[in-house]
Amino acid sequence: MKRSKTAALLLMSTVPLLLSACDRSEGAAREGVYTSVETCVAQTNDRSTCQQAFDKAQKDAAATAPRFANREACEASYGKEQCAERNDGASHSFFGPLMTGFFLSQMLRNGSPMSGFNSSPAFRDSNGGWQQPAPGGAGVYRGGAGSAMVPINATADHAVTTSRSGFGTSGSSRGFGS
Amino acid sequence: MRRIALAERTDWRSKAAECGFGFHTIDDAPYWDESAYYAFSLREIEHDVEAPSEELHAMALDLLDGIVVDEQQLRQLAIPEPYWDWIAQSWRERQPHLYGRMDFAYDGSGPAKLYELNYDTPTSLYEAAFFQWQWLEDQLARGQLPAGSDQFNSIYESLVEAFGTIARRLPRPFHFAAVRDSAEDQGTIAYLRDCALQAGIDCGTLAIEDIGVSADGRFTDLDDRVIGSLFKLYPLEDMFREAFGAYLPRSGLLLIEPPWKALLSNKGILPLLWDAHRGHPNLLAAEFDDGGELPRGWVRKPLHSREGANVAMHLDDGRELHTAGPYGDGPCIRQACHPLTGFDGHYPLIGSWIVGDRACGIGIREDNSLITRDSARFVPHAIVEEARGVLIA
Repeated sequence: MKRSKTAALLLMSTVPLLLSACDRSEGAAREGVYTSVETCVAQTNDRSTCQQAFDKAQKDAAATAPRFANREACEASYGKEQCAERNDGASHSFFGPLMTGFFLSQMLRNGSPMSGFNSSPAFRDSNGGWQQPAPGGAGVYRGGAGSAMVPINATADHAVTTSRSGFGTSGSSRGFGS
Repeated sequence: MRRIALAERTDWRSKAAECGFGFHTIDDAPYWDESAYYAFSLREIEHDVEAPSEELHAMALDLLDGIVVDEQQLRQLAIPEPYWDWIAQSWRERQPHLYGRMDFAYDGSGPAKLYELNYDTPTSLYEAAFFQWQWLEDQLARGQLPAGSDQFNSIYESLVEAFGTIARRLPRPFHFAAVRDSAEDQGTIAYLRDCALQAGIDCGTLAIEDIGVSADGRFTDLDDRVIGSLFKLYPLEDMFREAFGAYLPRSGLLLIEPPWKALLSNKGILPLLWDAHRGHPNLLAAEFDDGGELPRGWVRKPLHSREGANVAMHLDDGRELHTAGPYGDGPCIRQACHPLTGFDGHYPLIGSWIVGDRACGIGIREDNSLITRDSARFVPHAIVEEARGVLIA
């Protein structure tokens, strides 16, 4: 079949719509970035998961960390003394940031963590922001070489707006889509 | 590929009203038109449209590594210099893209020919992904289409999957923005937001005119929250030259479509594609326009024209066609003339949707002239089993 099995609307439809059986009530997750197994245990009370998550993150760190040709370029992004030389096993060496923490995510059911977890290494950039490797490019996106880094979410900032209406002045009676 | 007349569903207007399709009639002229549909064979869809779409998409993306470091090409594409580094950075980081639409001339015979890439602000998405799908399901249920008819249209599933895939790369808050007074553009972002919500992403909408800027050059919403990610159904090249454009490179805002799409949603990509893949069966010869007289057999298009505006066509038989529009004074390209084929006086243009990097559906717009303008109507399509009479005989 070349068409979608369903084509649901959530808010656009005025007709009440039942989502399929696998709805999102179990979509809640507990996520955190921890700088050590101990801080993870203090937060989650689950030493076994914290240790496994740390071990997996450490194992993945070399492969998924961003790669730089030299130490200076790496330190420009991740700070002094935060980079190490690595080797990809095929005698190519490069520099990458040291893992400064790990990210742990567990799905929750009725407020309690389910078995299984996701973890990844976390790196701290020179501005103090936390990053993790982007999830692999499977499915609708074609895979790319190397890991792109993505921010681990922070809460929204506020800023006093000093001006509006700086976009949208080109004018069109019929919109801008094409 | 055939154009087949079919009775309209008697209740399609009430269905449209129930489903938020407010722009099926635009300026009193019909836009959604289900008095006919186009029937394709599965081979036509898979071999002639789907496969070339994925190939051309990959070819276009493969040019970007070279363009972002090529001053001459950036100038040919009329990218303002203050945005070069920002665009290059967005490509090096592979900032996430969502969707695009390729327009093809195709009539069921010979290879589909690429007219252009609408890779920044494509519309006709809701009608292709949702209303066209519903038309097929309804007409199948009523026995008005051959049993087993299908449609090349997993656009909805692909959009939800794409949003789910990029969700973790989108700093929040995440807003969808379009111009306040365009029902069509507002309908398109409402649909995209609906898909993002279904992927579990909390997000809102905002008029593009309501975006604010703070003293330190960050973009804000109406609650003074700093916008993390913005889907804008508004041309990048217009943002570049408007008052807030100068803030973009240092604002920290993640844009969708990302800045690197300015290199693709630009008719200048057509001569660059032709130079790199001269003679490719799905490409038309193209070159940058030198402003001279347009010879027979060529079409002149502005780099940034939308909806068929400011196009000049000099047909092989000497006839000349021109459309009016607001893009008259910008740089142009020339493309070999490959006129659309008429079906009962209608000229269908195939819009092939790419979501993420997947070709996942088509929408057809037909006009009464060789140049597809904003007066074109959206006509649904179906994949119809080929007649098996020969086998039985």
